[in-house]
Amino acid sequence: MFMYLPIALTSVNYLVVTGLGLAVGLLSGLFGVGGGFLMTPLLMMIGIPPTIAAATDANQIVAASASGTLAHWRLGNVDYKMGLYLLIGGFVGGAAGVQVIKILRATGGADFLIKMTYVVMLGVVGSFMFVESLNAMRKSKANAGASEAAPAKKSGGLLSKLPMQTVFEKSGVTHSALLPLGLGTFVGVLAAIMGVGGGFLMVPVMIYLLRMPMHVVVGTSLFQIMFTCTEVTFLQAYSNRTVDFLLALLLLIGSVFGAQIGTILGRKLHGEQLKVLLSIIVLAVTVKIILELVMEPSLLLAYAGGH
Amino acid sequence: MLRNKVSVNGLLALLAGLFFIVAALPATPAQALTCQVSPDDIPINLFYNGATLTVTGTSGPGDDLLVKISSTTGDVHLKYKGKASGLFWMKMGNMEFKNVPNVYMLYSTGSIETMVDAAGRTANVLGYDALRAGSTMERTDGVEVEAKWFDEYLKFKKAENLYNVQEGTIVRRHGETGDEYTLTVAWPFQAPPANYTVEVFAVRDGQVVDRASAPITVEQAGVVKQLSGLAFNNPAVYGVLAVIIAMVAGFAVGAIFKKGGGSH
Repeated sequence: MFMYLPIALTSVNYLVVTGLGLAVGLLSGLFGVGGGFLMTPLLMMIGIPPTIAAATDANQIVAASASGTLAHWRLGNVDYKMGLYLLIGGFVGGAAGVQVIKILRATGGADFLIKMTYVVMLGVVGSFMFVESLNAMRKSKANAGASEAAPAKKSGGLLSKLPMQTVFEKSGVTHSALLPLGLGTFVGVLAAIMGVGGGFLMVPVMIYLLRMPMHVVVGTSLFQIMFTCTEVTFLQAYSNRTVDFLLALLLLIGSVFGAQIGTILGRKLHGEQLKVLLSIIVLAVTVKIILELVMEPSLLLAYAGGH
Repeated sequence: MLRNKVSVNGLLALLAGLFFIVAALPATPAQALTCQVSPDDIPINLFYNGATLTVTGTSGPGDDLLVKISSTTGDVHLKYKGKASGLFWMKMGNMEFKNVPNVYMLYSTGSIETMVDAAGRTANVLGYDALRAGSTMERTDGVEVEAKWFDEYLKFKKAENLYNVQEGTIVRRHGETGDEYTLTVAWPFQAPPANYTVEVFAVRDGQVVDRASAPITVEQAGVVKQLSGLAFNNPAVYGVLAVIIAMVAGFAVGAIFKKGGGSH
């Protein structure tokens, strides 16, 4: 039942780890999030050092997102053009975010900024999605089916005056290419600061700012996350030696199956129901982080790394 | 007749001499303190989850015993937590605990404080107070560290299963020429690969009167050693392999699900 991890230097119950992978993979397939914001704290809870938990999580997300991307590609749910713009922005933002963290670590303000970013971003995103989805569910009950026949949406106001207006056929929207590039950069900066893939930020950005349909959002987000986490895995393995491949293997055995099950489940749920569920999970994580911040920890010493 | 008397007197004198010599010697020679550990080499393989160590040996009759298992001493670097802005608990800075072992386990036949006097405990680093006396603490910002942080350090190490003190756990069997002892130790998987020393102390009248030791080696083996070697010696290859295997696994499972009838 136990397996020793050569990089984490700890022994884990492999059934528990595979079960965690399955649960987070399920969320990945359902919502298009990598699950890093959930998996990293869960791994820390079973005794994995924080730096190794974060880096290894990126490795298993590569598998889960590849599995999920394939499933959504078959469903025709991946907007490659949008994904590519977001990805380019994400890479630029990620590199910038890493530099921001380096500067803040030198001045000693990094941990505070990371914690606050978590609380504010998760809290705002979770609350907004929760309220908005509930309202949408009420409206859809009132006039069922109206949204299916909606024409392609265009950016309004100042956004429509931006150059490089591009039609994203798969998503049925028209935006300036600068918009997904800029939003990708913004999410990339935040993701680097928070040490996560950024799926839980990217999904609301695609829904509310890029006005993409929910099912295309999930597939496109997974497509983008697959590349982001590939980069993160390689850099963490090469620069910091913090990727525990055995741990990633146990997680991905669960997560790739979970992602497939999640995709099938997702087809049975409506977009608004998915959003409500995701917002509840995001808000639960926010509450957990707030409690950790205000309650005295049982141990006042910790290893370096992590949040 | 005279000759016979002389020989009887000589024999008596010889017997008396032998009696005094034998009387001057102890009734039975005290048994030397010994120490054996089994296994003395612990391989960390794929399904490793710690090990069971057995420490055995002989000791003088009635001597109390202590068994200390520890790594070499060094500096331990940790982050300390505090309240930022008087509101939020978070990591505030770095703290260094100097001249402490990474792993420290102590077992005894009875109460350590009553068995060994304070000087003996400090000199042989027996117990947490002795560890405290031999170490220093520093904060990287130069602020003086309060004594309570050593208690926090002990709490942290105990939670990691790397520090442990258990009294009355050494089992002894009394023999004619001395005692035999046995100690069973649950070796924690958290103890990293390193060389450790098992030391046995024989205690009489509050003083350490004898000691013996044996080494233990904990090292990675098999797949664990190969993966660790690849990660640290060829990190680029390791990183590429980690990504490729993850992608292949993801796509393969995706393909399996399609074969299972999930046509879209």
